[in-house]
Amino acid sequence: MSFFKKKGSCHEAATVAASGAKKVALVGNPNVGKSVLFNALTGAYVTVSNYPGTSVEVSRGSTAINGEEFEIIDTPGMYSILPITEEERVAREILLTERPHLVLHVLDARNLERMLPMTLQLIEAELPVVLVVNIMDEAARMGLEIDIPLLSKRLGIPVIGAATAKKIGVPEIRAAIAGSSSCAVPPFTYSRLMEGDIAEICQSLRGEYILSKKAIALLLLQDDAEVANLVRETEGVWFPGVQTVVREKRFERRESFHLDLSMERKAIVKGILDGAFKAPEKRVVTLAERFSRWTVRPATGIPLLLIVLYFGLYQFVGVFGAGTLVDFLEGKVFEEHFNPWIIEIVKLYVPWGMLQELLVGEYGIITLGFRYAVGIILPIVATFFLFFSVLEDSGYFPRLALLVDRVFKTMGLTGRAVIPMVLGFGCDTMATMVTRTLETVRERVIATVLLALAIPCSAQLGVIMSLLSQTPGALLTWGVCLLLIFLLVGLLAAKVVPGETPMFYMEIPPMRLPQFGNVLTKTYTRMQWYFMEILPLFILASVLLWLGKITHFFEKMIEAMTPVMASLGLPKESAVAFIFGFFRRDYGAAGLYDLQTKGLLNARQLTVAAVTLTLFIPCVAQFLIMKKERGWKVAIAIGLFVSGFAFGSGWLLNRFLLATQLL
Amino acid sequence: MRCGFCGHEFEEHEGNVGCKNCPMSSGCKMVKCPRCNYENPPEPALIKGLKKVFSAKKKTN
Repeated sequence: MSFFKKKGSCHEAATVAASGAKKVALVGNPNVGKSVLFNALTGAYVTVSNYPGTSVEVSRGSTAINGEEFEIIDTPGMYSILPITEEERVAREILLTERPHLVLHVLDARNLERMLPMTLQLIEAELPVVLVVNIMDEAARMGLEIDIPLLSKRLGIPVIGAATAKKIGVPEIRAAIAGSSSCAVPPFTYSRLMEGDIAEICQSLRGEYILSKKAIALLLLQDDAEVANLVRETEGVWFPGVQTVVREKRFERRESFHLDLSMERKAIVKGILDGAFKAPEKRVVTLAERFSRWTVRPATGIPLLLIVLYFGLYQFVGVFGAGTLVDFLEGKVFEEHFNPWIIEIVKLYVPWGMLQELLVGEYGIITLGFRYAVGIILPIVATFFLFFSVLEDSGYFPRLALLVDRVFKTMGLTGRAVIPMVLGFGCDTMATMVTRTLETVRERVIATVLLALAIPCSAQLGVIMSLLSQTPGALLTWGVCLLLIFLLVGLLAAKVVPGETPMFYMEIPPMRLPQFGNVLTKTYTRMQWYFMEILPLFILASVLLWLGKITHFFEKMIEAMTPVMASLGLPKESAVAFIFGFFRRDYGAAGLYDLQTKGLLNARQLTVAAVTLTLFIPCVAQFLIMKKERGWKVAIAIGLFVSGFAFGSGWLLNRFLLATQLL
Repeated sequence: MRCGFCGHEFEEHEGNVGCKNCPMSSGCKMVKCPRCNYENPPEPALIKGLKKVFSAKKKTN
C-alpha cells in the first residue's frame, strides 16, 4: 500500500518516467472516446499489457510535442475515484502511483451533467486536470449548446471542446499537454454541515498524501478500505484519533452519507452548468428510446423477451432453420441424392473395404462427418447467427443484462455475469474465458459452473431446438428443467460460497434498427469461422469413431454405457450421442438428431436424452479453458460435478415422466 | 469497429490483444472488445477490399 503517499505539491509530482518522459493519464467513463484520443495522440507505437497482479489491460504509448517526449496512458473506464470494479481500482492506482504530469479527463458532451461529478472529484483531489469535452459534433447535432470558456472559468481548469474521432480539438489537447500543469483550487464548496465534517477529519490527519486531505476525508467517510489502510499506515499512532472522528461522522449520517454527497455534487454541477449548457426545450422521445425502456422493465421486458425467444429461436431457428432447411438439405440433398451417389462412386473406385468404410460407412468422413456439418449443423447455425446478429446489432443484449440483474443477484452474481451467460449461447469456451471480467473469485466460480452445466452453445441449442420443436411438450419440459436447474444450482452456489454481491454498472448504447449489411456481414463471418472450425473436427471425430469401430473399442464403450443408458430409460444406441458429445457439444446433439430420425426415441426418451446431453460434460475446448482459468483442481471438480449432476437429473426426470405419464 | 454488446468503439488491433490468451485464438478470427470482452466478428477481407475499391472510386469522382 505505497500509493497515495504525497511528496510536496502537484508541480513536484509531475512524474518523469524511467525513459525520461512525463506521463499523461487519460481518464473518464467507458465509451467517451479515450481510446480514440489515445490513438490520435500516440499513433501506432503502443504497448498493451496486463496491469501487474490483475487481468485488466492498460495501453501505453508515447508522443513528442515541441521536441519533448510524453508517455500517454489509456486507463480503464472509471465512474468515480471511489472504485467499485477491478478496472476502476486499476485506473485509480495508475492515477496515484504513476503520479502523472497531467490528467486528461475525457467526457461525453451529450452526458455532461452525469459525468461532471467525477471532474469535481479530480479537482478536489488537487490533481493537475484538463477537461476534454468530447463528442461535441454529436452534441451539436442534438441541439445541445455548451459554453466552453464559461465552463472553464467556473471549474477553474482548462476545458477543451473536441470531437476526437474527427481529430477536432487534438491540436489544443497537445498544446495543453505541453503546457505547464497546475493544481486547481476547487472553486466550489459543499454545504456548511458537509464542509464542517470534512474539516474535522482533515484536522485529525497529520501525514502527507498524494491526494488532497479533503479527498482523503471524503473517501474515508465513504468507507474506502484501501484509503483506510493507507491512513492507518501513514498516521501510525494518530490513526485511532482519525478513526474516532470518521466513525463519529459516519454514525451521525449513517446510511444517508453517500446520497447526501451525491446530491450535493449534483447541485454543484447544476450550478456550474447553469447558463453554460443549453438543451433544446422540447426533447422528443423517440420510438427507440421508448422501446428501450420497455425492454428493461420486468413488466414489459419479460413478455418482450418471451416474444423474442418464441419468434427468434423457436419459429425462425427451430421450425424454419432446423426444420424446413435441415429437412431439405439433410433429407433431400444428402440422404436422397448426394449420399447414394458418393457411396456408389467410392465403392466403384476404392476397392478396399476398410477405406470404403472410412469414407462412406456408418461413421464415414463423408456420410457422417460432412453430412452432419453441412446438412444439419450449417443451416441451424446460419439461422441462429442471423437471429443473433439482428439482436446484437439492435443493442438488445445490454438491456437483457439489466433486465436479469435482479434474478442474478439472488444467485450471488450481478447483471455483469449476463455477458458471459449470453456469450455462452454462442460458444461456452469463449464465455468461460470472459468470466475473468467478473469481480470476485466467487462470482467467477459460480459463473463457470453454470456455463459448464446449464448453458447450451449455439449449435447444440439449435440442434436441440430442431429436435424438440416437433414435440412442443418435450420442448417445454426441456426449457423448464434447464431453467430450474440453472436457478437451483445458482441459489445453492450463492448459499455455499459466502461473500457480498458487488454492484453492477453498465453503459447502455442506444437502441437502433439493425443495418441489413452489417447483419449479413456478421452472420457470414461467424458462419465462415464456425464452418472452418467444425469441419476438420467433425472429420477427425469420424476417423476416431471409424477407428473405434474397426477395433471394436466403440462397441465395448457402448456396451459399457448400456447400464447407464438403461437407468435413464434410453436405448443403448443413445450412448453414441454421448460419446460424440465428448468431442463437441453439437456433435452429440447431431447424433441425437440421427437417432430420432431413425425412430429410436419416443417423446419421453427424447426429452430425457436432450436434458442429460445439454447438462452433460463440457466439450474438450471448454474443459481446457476451465483448467486454464480456474486450475486443474477446480476444472476436474466442475467436470465431475457436471457429469454426475447431468446423469442424476436425467434419471430423476425419467422417473418423474414415467410416474406422471406427462410425455 | 463498434462492439456489438456494449457499443464501445475500438481499433481491431486493440481487441485482438485480448484474444491472445485464448487457446482457440489461432483458428478463431473473433475480436474481443477491450471493455466488456464480447467477441465481435471482424469485417471479412473481401468486404474490406470491396469498400476500399468503392471509396477509391468515390474519391476519383
